[in-house]
Amino acid sequence: MICAGIDAGSRAIKVVLIDDRALTVAGSGIVAQGVHQKELAAELLNQTLKEAGATHHDIRNSVATGYGRNTVALADTTITEITCHARGVHHQQPEARTVIDIGGQDSKLLHLSENGHVRDFAMNDRCAAGTGRFLEVVSEQLEVALIDIGALAAKADAPASISSMCVVFAETEIIGLLAAGESPENIVAGVQASIATRTAAMSGGRVNGPIVFTGGVAMIPGMAEALEVALGDRITIADKPQLTGALGAALLAAEQQ
Amino acid sequence: MNTCCSADHAANAAAAAHPADAFHDMVQRCYDYATEQKALGRKLVGIMCEYTPREIIMAANAMPVCLCGGSVDMIPAAEQTLPSNLCPLIKSTFGYGVKKANPFLEMADLLVAETTCDGKKKMYELLRETYPMHVLELPQKPDNATALEHWITELRQLKQELETRFDVTITDDDLRNGIQLMNRERALRRELAGVMKQDAPPMTGRQLLEMKSLISGLPHDFSLYEEAIDVFKRQPPEQENTSGVRVLLTGVPLPHGAERVMDIIEDSGGLVVCQENCTGLKPLLEDVDPNTADPLRAIAETYFHLPCSVMTPNTRRMELLKQLNGEYRPQCVIELIWQACLTYDVESAKVKAMVEQELGIPYLRIETDYSPSDSARIAVRVQALFETVAARG
Repeated sequence: MICAGIDAGSRAIKVVLIDDRALTVAGSGIVAQGVHQKELAAELLNQTLKEAGATHHDIRNSVATGYGRNTVALADTTITEITCHARGVHHQQPEARTVIDIGGQDSKLLHLSENGHVRDFAMNDRCAAGTGRFLEVVSEQLEVALIDIGALAAKADAPASISSMCVVFAETEIIGLLAAGESPENIVAGVQASIATRTAAMSGGRVNGPIVFTGGVAMIPGMAEALEVALGDRITIADKPQLTGALGAALLAAEQQ
Repeated sequence: MNTCCSADHAANAAAAAHPADAFHDMVQRCYDYATEQKALGRKLVGIMCEYTPREIIMAANAMPVCLCGGSVDMIPAAEQTLPSNLCPLIKSTFGYGVKKANPFLEMADLLVAETTCDGKKKMYELLRETYPMHVLELPQKPDNATALEHWITELRQLKQELETRFDVTITDDDLRNGIQLMNRERALRRELAGVMKQDAPPMTGRQLLEMKSLISGLPHDFSLYEEAIDVFKRQPPEQENTSGVRVLLTGVPLPHGAERVMDIIEDSGGLVVCQENCTGLKPLLEDVDPNTADPLRAIAETYFHLPCSVMTPNTRRMELLKQLNGEYRPQCVIELIWQACLTYDVESAKVKAMVEQELGIPYLRIETDYSPSDSARIAVRVQALFETVAARG
């Protein structure tokens, strides 16, 4: 039988199917988040099942996670993304002790115990300044594709200091920097450093390695390096980091009787 | 959450209403009582902090009423004058004055304010432009003898202010009567809160939070407390109420109208068994000795022990949390901090370290204000905390 994990995030919906005995991935899919979240999730699950040569009858259990977890009506239960990311990372890298998850509007830092359970966690408050949304705003302002941001930042000679506590104000700050003649390279590097510093502050000053980086922002070149500087430690990017939450949800579904 | 009102129980709901239901019209009851008593010549005195001794106000035959604002709707009006990055409790309390929307504030013959935190202290300067006010200066070194003497002097001045303003004489026996009334109220509310020590408590934390009154010392409330205690002694607990992760809620108070975080916790599978805050057990735990030669000094000593985060060092709060942990057996601690409440915010680092290292249970800090915009985000954290508790087994 198959178990399904559905991660309805703020920017994308992700599905992972696993074989509930072998715990191997049987299929996965990603679709951009939209207004009709429920339908988008259902279509994505259908499509992923089809590609895996399976049907709904093959699903023994399913777990939804992510901010839209209660809207995704097709799952049997819901579990928070905090527990799901921890489970997904523990499956891939049992030695991991810290998880950094940066998504579209959330950033989280989880401390894991030796058995992979969440020991404690921190999460950004109302503001999105430490999240993927910040990078999106910058890429729009500088007219650079998200995926090219890292290459641009690598050319920075002196990363700009971005101090705003809020995405909206940071946008204004960037306009000011551009007007003052700051290079796009330095601005992008400054924004990445700002996100990394904000994330590192959530650790409460104590980060145990190995550190694993998950979430969509982990796919943006340069972010892991910026975090390594801020944390003063090595960071591993999870395998397919955008799917870690959905993978964890599928694994937790398999553990449920 | 409030399972006693669910459809399953509709049949016997009428016969066996939950004791907390008797407090649904608490505000109206207080208003009717205050109006009636004022017509008879009694004075109404507004207070905004648990350091303000109600005993002295009662000794002047006046009615102490809590004016702490819990309504988000008052905040835009307050922000015309106050900074937006300020504690919502301070803003809401002030906003009620701007909008003339709190009948108790409008009816009050005097406000007794206090220098607890900087935000309140400076807000009171603006509020006193409109309302008559006496300010108590609260010293903040709880183990310092000189500080205590200063506090005693402050309370003697309050007594004189009340005597002059209301043209009464407050005798030591008047103070003893006030002490006895407040000791009775504290004892009843303590006993009510104490039922949450049970393995299967007969109510939710939200229901317990409801069971108090804006005006202290109301005879009708005392009967309601007694009846509730009696009901809880006789009735077997309702199992539906009692499942849930046992939570000790600490930090800032939840004034009437600002119960959102409590609701999120209990809607997410938690049961708040203990509140170490000013709307919970914190001001109820220590009685005043009515039998001393100097009752005013006895009042001052008791109140000076309140472990608010404005005190330094605030070691009594850590001791209290350890004691409550033993009595109420929480599975986790959630600390609520109102935005820009600097003293609770900074002190939270000590609470987190103590809870994790000495109590050995998970700790979650929630900083928010009265606006519901972050409710979903708070729920994620609370649910993740409960998943962590469940994984520990």
